[in-house]
Amino acid sequence: MRTRLKRVLRVARWEASRASGGVDRRTVLAAVALLAIAGTVVGAGVAAGVVGLDVDRDVYRVGVDADSSYADAVEGEPALTLVPAERATLGTNADLVVHDRGAMEGVVVRATDTSKGEAAAAEFREAVEAHNERLMYAELNRTAAFPLTVTLQYASPSGPSGDDPTVGDDPTVGDDPTGDRGTGEGDVDGVDEPTSDGSMDEPTSGDGVDDRDEGAGDDEDASLGGDVDDTSADADGEESGLASDGGADGEDEDDGGFAVPSIGGEAFGAGTVGSPGSITPPFPFASLVLAFVFLVPMNFLVQAYGSSVLSERTKRRGEPLLVTPLSPVDIVAGKTLPYVAVAVAVTALIAVVVGGGPVSVLAILPVAAAFLAATFVGAVFARSFKELTFVTVAVSVLLTSYAFVPAIFTNVTPVALISPLTLVVFDLQGEAVSLGEFLFSTGPTAIAAVLLFGLGLGVYREEDLFTQKPVSRKFLDALAVRLYAVGEGVRRPPGLAARLPDRIRGLAAVAFLTACTIPFVFVAELLAVAVLFALPVTVSIPVLLVTIAFIEEVAKSLHLYAGFEREVFARTDRVALAVGLASGIGFFLAEKATAVVQAVGLTELYVGRAAFGSVAGVAGLSPLVLAALFFAPLVVHGVTTALTAVGASRNRTYYAVALALATLLHAAYNFGVLGIHG
Amino acid sequence: MDSRLTVAKRELAGLRAEKTILLAIGIQLFIAAFSSFLVVGLVSMYDPGALDGAEVEVAGAGDAVADLERAADEVTGASVTRYESASDARAAFDRNAADAVVVATRDDRGGITASVTAPDATVETTVIVVQLRDLLRTYERTERESRSSWLSEQPLPLPDRTGTSPYFTFTYTILIPVLVFLPVFISGSLVVDSITEEIDEGTLELLRVAPVTIGEILDGKALAAVAIAPGQALLWLLLLEANGTSVANVGTILALMTALTTLVVAVAAGIAAVAPDRRAAQFLYSIAVLVLFGGATAMAGGPTNAVARLAIDSADLATTITVAVYALLAAVAYLGVRRFVTENGISG
Repeated sequence: MRTRLKRVLRVARWEASRASGGVDRRTVLAAVALLAIAGTVVGAGVAAGVVGLDVDRDVYRVGVDADSSYADAVEGEPALTLVPAERATLGTNADLVVHDRGAMEGVVVRATDTSKGEAAAAEFREAVEAHNERLMYAELNRTAAFPLTVTLQYASPSGPSGDDPTVGDDPTVGDDPTGDRGTGEGDVDGVDEPTSDGSMDEPTSGDGVDDRDEGAGDDEDASLGGDVDDTSADADGEESGLASDGGADGEDEDDGGFAVPSIGGEAFGAGTVGSPGSITPPFPFASLVLAFVFLVPMNFLVQAYGSSVLSERTKRRGEPLLVTPLSPVDIVAGKTLPYVAVAVAVTALIAVVVGGGPVSVLAILPVAAAFLAATFVGAVFARSFKELTFVTVAVSVLLTSYAFVPAIFTNVTPVALISPLTLVVFDLQGEAVSLGEFLFSTGPTAIAAVLLFGLGLGVYREEDLFTQKPVSRKFLDALAVRLYAVGEGVRRPPGLAARLPDRIRGLAAVAFLTACTIPFVFVAELLAVAVLFALPVTVSIPVLLVTIAFIEEVAKSLHLYAGFEREVFARTDRVALAVGLASGIGFFLAEKATAVVQAVGLTELYVGRAAFGSVAGVAGLSPLVLAALFFAPLVVHGVTTALTAVGASRNRTYYAVALALATLLHAAYNFGVLGIHG
Repeated sequence: MDSRLTVAKRELAGLRAEKTILLAIGIQLFIAAFSSFLVVGLVSMYDPGALDGAEVEVAGAGDAVADLERAADEVTGASVTRYESASDARAAFDRNAADAVVVATRDDRGGITASVTAPDATVETTVIVVQLRDLLRTYERTERESRSSWLSEQPLPLPDRTGTSPYFTFTYTILIPVLVFLPVFISGSLVVDSITEEIDEGTLELLRVAPVTIGEILDGKALAAVAIAPGQALLWLLLLEANGTSVANVGTILALMTALTTLVVAVAAGIAAVAPDRRAAQFLYSIAVLVLFGGATAMAGGPTNAVARLAIDSADLATTITVAVYALLAAVAYLGVRRFVTENGISG
C-alpha cells in the first residue's frame, strides 16, 4: 500500500513538473494584459455612464404624448423607448399607445394584438408603478405618501427562538455591517417616530430604507470587485490557471454587479422596516453569484487536464509509462492528483476570499472530481484536439448547468439539493447544513465521478490509447472490459476454471454494470424532461414516455451488446436470456434502491413533502395489487432486456430492431401505469 | 481562390468525420432547454401567481385588519383570515394553519403600522414574501387614495392589469442572443485547434511545400469556420419559429452574427499564430473572448441588445449602425491578422 502511494506520488510529481511548463510566463503576462485592458475599458465606461447590463434596453416602443406625466414613467424604464404620440402608429413603430385622460378619468392603453403588445403593456404597468414610488419619495407629507409602515421579521413556526435543525443562527445580521446599520436606522426613523404632519427635516421611514438599500448595494459591489482582484493577483503568482479564473470572475462580477437588485442576505435580518415597496424577498442573489465563482476555475482546469491526457496519447509518451511496473490506476491517479490538488487549493482560496467555510470546499470537491472524470473519459476517447475541445465544452456546459441551475432554487424547492452548489449557497448564507443534506447532495456527483473514472480506466491500455478508433468502438471496449465470460467457447480469464462460480460471476458483473448506469439514466431522463416540457402536454407526455423507455432500454442492453461484440459472451440464446434477465434484475434493484434513498432523503429533509404525496395515492389499494405494482417493473425490465439481449447476440441490425420493440413494449407499460395512477 | 476552397473543404471534411459538430449542436440544445427550465424557476419565485397552487394564507389581526381583507380580495393567491388578537394569529402561524402573520394597527398619527411575520428560511419563504409584498402594496395603494388630498402630486393611475407570458421578454433578450452567439465561440475555438494542431504535428510545414501561400491557408481555415456558424444560428431561429416564436429581421441577425464570427475567428487565428502551443492558445483565446464579449455586452447597444431588438422587431437606425460597425470591425480585424500572418508567418 505504501509503495503504491509512493508510486502514485511519483507520477503526480512528474505530471506537476510537466504541466507547469505548459503555460509560460509570456502567456500569463498576455492574459493579465488583456484583463487589465478590459478592466480599464469597463472602468472608464462606468465612469462615463455608458456601461449597463440591461439586455432588454429599448425592446418595447411606447407611443405617449411628450407632455404627459406618463412620458417620465417611460423614460425611467430602460426596456421602454419613447415614441412621440403624434408620430406613433400602432403596429409599425409602436407596440403600445398611451392615452392619458387626466387624473380623474384614468389612463387607457392600446397595445398591438400580439404577445409583444401584451408584454409591452405589462412592462408599462410596472414602469408606472416604479414611477409612482419615485413620486411618493419626493412627497413632503410622509404619512399620506406612505400610509403603511411595514416591519418584517422572520420566525420559524415553532417559536421565535428557532430550534429548527436545518437553520443556523440568523445569518447576516451579525456579520454584515451595512445590513445592521440600515436596520438600526429604520428602527429609529420608521417605527418610533412616525411622522404625521410632514415636517421637512425629520428623517422618515421611506428615506431610511432607501438609503439602506443603496448603501448596501454599493458596498457589496465594491467589496466584490476588491475580492476578485485579490484572487487574480494572488493566483498569478503561483499558478497560471488560477489567474484566468480570478480574472474571469472579475469580468462576470463587473457585469453582474450593476444588475444586483438586492443583496439577499439583508432581507433576512430581523426587523426590516419600510414601505411595502421596499420589501425584498430573500433571494440569495449575491450568494449565488459567489457560488458561481467556484465553478469558473473548473473550466480552465479541465482544459489543461484534457490537453495533458490527450498529448500523452498523441505523442505516445504514455507508452513507455505503461511498460513500467506502474498499473494504469497508479498512472491515472498520479496524473489526476495534481489537478485535484489545484482544484482544492483554488476552492479554498476562493472560500477564504468570499467568506465560505469548509463546507463549501468539501461540497465543491465532488464537482471538481466530476469535471475531471468526464474530461478524462473524453480525452481517452477523443481522436484529436478538435474533438477534445468539443468534449471539454460539452463537459463544462453540462456540469456547470447541472451544478448551477438547481442552486438557483435554493430557497424555493428541496430539489435544489441535487446540486452540491446549493450547499455552497447555504454555507455562504451562513445556514447550517445537516449531514443528511450533505450526503444527499454530494453523493450522486461523487459516485458519477468514480464510475466515469472506472469507465475511462477500462480502456487505459495500449491497444486503445494509441489507436485511432472511433469513439463508439472505444466505448464498447470500455464496457466489455468490465464484463466476465458467460457461456461455452469464449475468452475467459485464466485460473477461473470452475464453471458455476464463473457463471454467477459473469451474471453478477452484468447486473452490477447495469446498476451503475442508474445515475446517468437519471440525468438523461431529467434532461429529456427539461427539453420536452416546452411542448404541449398532449405531445410531450407520449414523447417523454417513449424517450424514457428508450433511455432505460439502452442503459440495460448496451453493455450486453458490447459483451457479444467483443466475444465475452457466447452467442447462444440461452446465454442471451441469462444475461438479459440478469441485467433486468440489476436495473430493477438499483432503481428501487435509489427510489428508497430519495424517498428517505426527502422525507428526512422536508417532512411531509413530495414523498408523502406519492404514498398517499396508493393507500387505498389492496396488498396484492400493491405487490403486483411493486414487482411489475421487474417483469417488464426482465422481458424487455431479454428481448434486446437476444437481438444483441445476433448482430447490429437485430439489436436495433429488438431495441425498438423493447422500447415500444416498455413505453406501453409506462402508459398503462400512468393510467392506473392517474 | 481554388486552393482556399480546398483547404476549407478539407477542414469541413475533418469535422464531418469526427461527428463533433453534432455534439456542438447537442450542447446548444441543452443550453436552450436548461434556460427555459431556469426561467420557469425564476418566474415561479417572482411571480408565484404564474404557477398554480401558490396560495398564501395570512393570519390577520389588529384594528385595521378589515382594510387588509379588502385588499386581499384584489390580489390573487393571497387570502386573509381574521383573528381576535395578535397572539391568536401567532398561534395559528405556530401550528402551521397560516403561512404568515400580519398585525395591522392604526397609530395615533393617522398611519398604519403593519407588523409582518414570515417563516424563517424555509423553502417557501421567497414565494410567501413576494405574495405578501403584493398584498401590502395593494393595501398601501388603497390607503394612499383615501389620503390623496394631502398629497402635492397625485400618483399616476395604473393601467389595467393584462395577462402576459413571463417567458416573452426572456425568450427575446436572453435565449435568442445566447443561441445566436454560441456558434460564434465554437467557430473561434475550432480555428485555434485547427492551426495549433497543424503546428504540433508538423503538417503545416508540409502544406508550405504545396503551392499555397500561408495567407491562403489562413483564408481556407477561416472560411470553413465562418461558414458553419450562420447555419447553426439559422437552425435555431427556424426551430423557434416552428415553436411559435416569431423572429423578425433574420437576415440582419445572421449578418451581425457572421460579422462577429469573423471578428472572433480573426482574434483566434492571431492568437494561434503567436502562442507557443495549443494549451496556451486555447487559454488566451478563452480570456480574449471573455474580455471582448463581456466588454461589448456591458456597453450600451452591445451585440446582445442589438440581436434582441432585431429579433423582437424593435430595430431602429441605431441597430443598423451597430451591425455596420461590427461588419467593418470584423473586416479590419481579419485583414489585419492576415497581413500579420503573411508577413511574420506562424511561429509555432
